[in-house]
Amino acid sequence: MDGQLLEPTLYTVKGMAILDNDGNRILAKYYDKNLFPTPKDQKMFEKNLFSKTHRANAEIIMLDGLTCIYKSNVDLFFYVMGLSHENELILMSVLNCLYDSVSQILRKNVEKRAVLDSLDIVMLAMDEICDGGIILDADASSVVQRVALRTDDIPLGEQTVAQVLQSAKEQLKWSLLK
Amino acid sequence: MNAFKRDKKEEEDGGGNPFQNLEKTTVLQEARTFNDTPVNPRKCAHILTKILYLLNQSEQLSTMEATEVFFAMTKLFQCRDIVLRRLVYLGIKELSSLAEDVIIVTSCLTKDMTGKGDLYRAAAIRALCTITDGGMVAAIERYMKQAIVDRSPAVSSAALVSSLHLSRVSGDVARRWANEAQEALNSSNVMVQYHALGLLYQARKTDKHAVIKLVSKLTRTSPKSPYAACMLIRMACKILDEVDDDEELLGFISSCLRHKSEIVVYEAAHAWFNLGRVGTKEITPAISVLQLFCGSQRPAHRFAAVRTLNKVAMTHPGVVTACNLDLENLITDSNRSIATLAITTLLKTGAESSVDR
Repeated sequence: MDGQLLEPTLYTVKGMAILDNDGNRILAKYYDKNLFPTPKDQKMFEKNLFSKTHRANAEIIMLDGLTCIYKSNVDLFFYVMGLSHENELILMSVLNCLYDSVSQILRKNVEKRAVLDSLDIVMLAMDEICDGGIILDADASSVVQRVALRTDDIPLGEQTVAQVLQSAKEQLKWSLLK
Repeated sequence: MNAFKRDKKEEEDGGGNPFQNLEKTTVLQEARTFNDTPVNPRKCAHILTKILYLLNQSEQLSTMEATEVFFAMTKLFQCRDIVLRRLVYLGIKELSSLAEDVIIVTSCLTKDMTGKGDLYRAAAIRALCTITDGGMVAAIERYMKQAIVDRSPAVSSAALVSSLHLSRVSGDVARRWANEAQEALNSSNVMVQYHALGLLYQARKTDKHAVIKLVSKLTRTSPKSPYAACMLIRMACKILDEVDDDEELLGFISSCLRHKSEIVVYEAAHAWFNLGRVGTKEITPAISVLQLFCGSQRPAHRFAAVRTLNKVAMTHPGVVTACNLDLENLITDSNRSIATLAITTLLKTGAESSVDR
């Protein structure tokens, strides 16, 4: 048994990534500089990870000394990485939180196009789930509460007249610009 | 034919990726809009998203480019739009290692972290601590101590986690703020409890007696947060590794085998084997936990169980034989990693009689 006792540390998550169905990175974060020192190493790892996971719907894989837990939907792949001796169920809870938060933000419409349309909010959500490798929050509804704050998400009845006019104006402007 | 294929692909993507083919120079040029007054929050948020996206795609910015964007971004502090502000915090964090003179935003961030909205405050604390260096810690100490004991869990967690990051920059931060962390440990929020325990351990880990005191106090009340419980199990293991058997700690770990959270149950079972105290009576419940996980619907549970059994089998094949039947079922598992681990484990524990099955 390589039997190392687990070091009591909060630095649990080594990386999180969202890839599309060609294995290209949509968003990815690595929290350990020593693991993948250069962007090239990261990309290589992602390619490798994708080629090993995109067909098999297996939820968990060991790769390059990391335990990677994943989940896919339509044209997206969600990954959470941790060291190989890390408690897999903790990593699993992080992945579930990531997936469920994105799903709630996109109103269950989890696909690439929707993620790109709300990229800013998804970025904020990833930032709320994990801070530098420490799990900041693992409860999807509380993560969503912390990030989904667009004013136009407030039901029409609760907006002021000025707000409605403003958003109408902006939408008109954008449609003309297109 | 090829062109047709590509068209179809783009169509499937729903009109292509709006962030594809972004040019770094164009985006940086667009960032000059940040200087306009009044700020247009929608437009600026979109441009800032593009910058963050480029950084995430590991586009390299020179120090000069990064500094220029950073300073343009500071202009956005005049706008109170909450999404934009949050993106600015994110931008500060991403650029803090690339740009120069980032401490310019210190006062803006301290203002936000002591302001009204809890959502601003938590995120501002985290951004502030990424631009803080060893020399500046003293200047923000008072605010940080207050934030750690704040009644908003988001603020408290943000401050605790940031303190832990800061203790890499300035060694004694954790020790100086330990009293506040101790108070946060009593929080009813599961994450705050977990983060407070992490900071307290950081503060005391060089003092063995202090750790023992902390652990024995907490094991009596058994933390509500599953994450904190896992951390506590690891701390207990660390102590048990150095001292002779401590009935109280061993009792705590075996009581965690009956915890209502699966995360903790697995952590406790895992801890039993890693302690190398195979032969004690508690080994049977730990084995049955893993046996239960072997039959789980979730691949992650099965994987966790078989990986642990595989490690135990290397040193104590006899203990694992009880699970041989379960392991044989896993040989044909649809997850290759699980199947492989199951086979290698059986090779260590199996007898000739089972080969035929």
